[in-house]
Amino acid sequence: MSTRYVGAPVPRNEDPALLTGRGLFVDDVRLPAMAHAAVLRSPHAHARIRRVDTGRARIAPGVLAVLTHADLGALGGPLPRLIPHPALAHHKTQSALAGDTVRFVGEPVAFVVAESRYLAEDACDLIEVAYDPLPVAASLEAAAAPDAPRVHEDMDSNVCAHYTQRVGDVARAFATASHRVRERFRIDRGAACPMETRGVAAAWDARARRLDVWDSTQAPIPIRNGLAAMFGLAEQDVRVVAPDVGGGFGPKVMMFYPEEILVPLAAMRLGRPVKWIEDRREHFVATNQEREQIHDAEIALDAEGRILGVRTVFLYDAGAYIPYGLIVPIVASTTLPGPYRIPNYHCEFRAVFTNKTSVSPYRGAGRPHGVFVMERLLDRAAREMRMDRADLRRRNFIQPDEFPYDVGVIYQDNAPLRYDSGNYPACFERALDRIGYAGWPAAQAAARARGRWLGCGVACYVEGTGIGPYEGARVTVEPSGRVFIATGVGTQGQGHMTSLAQIAADVLGVPPQDITVHTGDTGLFGWGTGTFASRSATVAGNAVALAAQAVAAKARLVAASVLEAPLEEIELGEGTAWVRGVPGRSVTLGALARAANPLRFTMPKEWEGPGLEAARYFAPPQGTFSNGVHACIVAVDVETGLLRVERYVVVHDCGRVINPMILDGQIQGGVAQGLGGAFWEKLAYDDEAQPLSTTFMDYLLPTAVEVPPLEIEHVETPSPLNPLGVKGAGEAGVIPVPAVIAQAVEDALAPLGIHITEAPLSPSRLRQLIVEARRDR
Amino acid sequence: MKLEGTNTLPAPIETVWKMLNDPEALRRCTPGLHELRELEPDRYEATLTIGIAAVRGSYKGTLSITDKRAPSHYKLVLEGSGGSGFMKGEGIVDLEAQGDSTLLKWVGDMQIGGMIAGVGQRMLGGVGKMLIGQFFKCLEQQLTRGT
Repeated sequence: MSTRYVGAPVPRNEDPALLTGRGLFVDDVRLPAMAHAAVLRSPHAHARIRRVDTGRARIAPGVLAVLTHADLGALGGPLPRLIPHPALAHHKTQSALAGDTVRFVGEPVAFVVAESRYLAEDACDLIEVAYDPLPVAASLEAAAAPDAPRVHEDMDSNVCAHYTQRVGDVARAFATASHRVRERFRIDRGAACPMETRGVAAAWDARARRLDVWDSTQAPIPIRNGLAAMFGLAEQDVRVVAPDVGGGFGPKVMMFYPEEILVPLAAMRLGRPVKWIEDRREHFVATNQEREQIHDAEIALDAEGRILGVRTVFLYDAGAYIPYGLIVPIVASTTLPGPYRIPNYHCEFRAVFTNKTSVSPYRGAGRPHGVFVMERLLDRAAREMRMDRADLRRRNFIQPDEFPYDVGVIYQDNAPLRYDSGNYPACFERALDRIGYAGWPAAQAAARARGRWLGCGVACYVEGTGIGPYEGARVTVEPSGRVFIATGVGTQGQGHMTSLAQIAADVLGVPPQDITVHTGDTGLFGWGTGTFASRSATVAGNAVALAAQAVAAKARLVAASVLEAPLEEIELGEGTAWVRGVPGRSVTLGALARAANPLRFTMPKEWEGPGLEAARYFAPPQGTFSNGVHACIVAVDVETGLLRVERYVVVHDCGRVINPMILDGQIQGGVAQGLGGAFWEKLAYDDEAQPLSTTFMDYLLPTAVEVPPLEIEHVETPSPLNPLGVKGAGEAGVIPVPAVIAQAVEDALAPLGIHITEAPLSPSRLRQLIVEARRDR
Repeated sequence: MKLEGTNTLPAPIETVWKMLNDPEALRRCTPGLHELRELEPDRYEATLTIGIAAVRGSYKGTLSITDKRAPSHYKLVLEGSGGSGFMKGEGIVDLEAQGDSTLLKWVGDMQIGGMIAGVGQRMLGGVGKMLIGQFFKCLEQQLTRGT
């Protein structure tokens, strides 16, 4: 197979439509007689619902329906439990509308459908709900205490899971160590904030008994399957389309959100299409959040700086319910070891309910936490051992000849964590070279002499990507010669229409521009799980390659027949098939597609059916493991606490690169979100678990001013686990950012002796640390 | 959020006490209060409109007077909820005679939830102080007019 297109910065097939306003997002779905919905949400973090009076709302102008828990019948039960785990003792999920208790601010209590969104929202104001406030489990630490107010009254405490994984003998490692460092690390809450908030539209055809749903989701097929089961419909009579999706980042892989049931239900009851679009303030309470963890971690090293053992015991804030199970804390604890040899490892967590919005994966999904803890421990150890932080890391890297490398724990896909390939020292040295680490002490001293507080950071990570269970694709050559690919893996801006086209282009010998990729439409492809865990290129990409290879083989077979030449002499390229050495004897792919679908006479048996079409699946036995190193130079303004990132280097290895331009974009966006989580974005809650930062006035997204241009380099160590040799890259940009920024800030402020043990920082928090450090001096 | 303050009112303690227990005076002087309907002695149904930051909302609830020790002490509890969230305010008032005038000491606690908390929490201190200031200024005017 030639690789003319894989590896090239092919311009994105999706961009002409998106850039000229011809995209189709859920809010662009406008159907005749469409009604609009609004959700009445709890203003209390924890309260008993005594009474819901919808009388005035029901008779308000333009109101078509008002639903409360009492109206849901069997649909009012707990929503599906997505990913069970033996350690998850209390797998609580919310109801589509709260029954007798609300457990977080923003929990849906009533659903109003009206002729317009304005009327629906006005009617929400007319619903009278009598709440009896209950004591609130607000902070993670307080909620974990035995005497804390309980989020779920049928539990003895708020701890819903306690899970430990062990490698080797950590106690002995610590007992024999020359150096031990212990620290408490806190990572606070953040929100994904995609440009497009969530949204659902649904239409019910009562005569055909057919339900059409447009949903801004990362998992249209599981949504389709779930809706069919809930409403007692055949899966093929439910079509769920995730059209253009304006960013997902993880929270949109949650299923089900209440609105994903309420909108179709209302559409079926009213016999009219219904649409609900989440507004931005709702997004801050009604879409799952992430990040809060408190780690008590320690590391043990021998006299030469070799790691003997690492231990972390941490609390994980699940929020009020835990639909997605233990994925985030498991990913955090299995990402922590990173590229280092850690012979003895103990990771233990308790998942704790709090009266806050539920937590499920958000880009990184625990990886930034693990990396933050590990890299911070190494920095502390280096300082205490008076050893260069780069040297300390060099002594502990897993070497290129040690793959496959068993870490010794079970990963999020329930398979042993086994790194497939990589070259960690090479990435590290390239990043150090690029940032100028060798000359850094002199550069820093010169800057300090000029009164500038500059710091340099360097942090490493290994990213688990490309996990199963499977994805599939169908490749079809139409009579026009255009190639169509359908896959169940939706796109939320990652460039699937191009990357997947490039893969098929090389196999079929057609330019990617002549290939149309359909994603996220269950009517076109009905098998798949969704877009998550940096897995689309690896899992769906290889399925596309396999399907395209099958189509190519069929095209050769048909061409041999049409051109009356031996099969082994048939070549494919430039949208045609020809006889080797006789370019004049050729036929276009389109003509072959027509020939493969005869109208009369007979069809050769070896064609195994009509058309140039094949569907194939790829089911990897385990994930692939990308890795990388980020290095940066920051300037701290000690008077204001402001941070300026002067340079930012990313050296990244995700195996074979399909489209370097798309990859760079993924990394650029990831670093931007990482900077938010490292320094700007914090979801603040008060003592009653009232969210205080529900607008972009208070929740600070990094803008073009805060995000620096990146210097990106790629190292390519192919994965041996799949035919394309690719690994995932979707979360790479975000993972080590809090760790590298903390290290750089600490380096900049070394004369003040400030230790950074938390993320995100903020200008005011950094300024506070500086003031305290100066006062203590 | 806790607030406290003192005001000197230009009337004897008995007059001030009477006014602080007069529904009409409370209705007139509580900023944004539209309706005050007596449910039972010292307990009223109240409707008020208050704007905090960008959120202006109507709240329906109750106003009650408890812990009464005439003529020097009581507690005022105002609870309300509406489309933009809920609020709960408590004020403890102590009066001290100072000749012809009265020293009024107050301690207030205010809690808000829902949309107004998400958008307006940062403004709450300032808004609370302003509203309480308006309340006492109005009482002062009433007393001045009365004498």
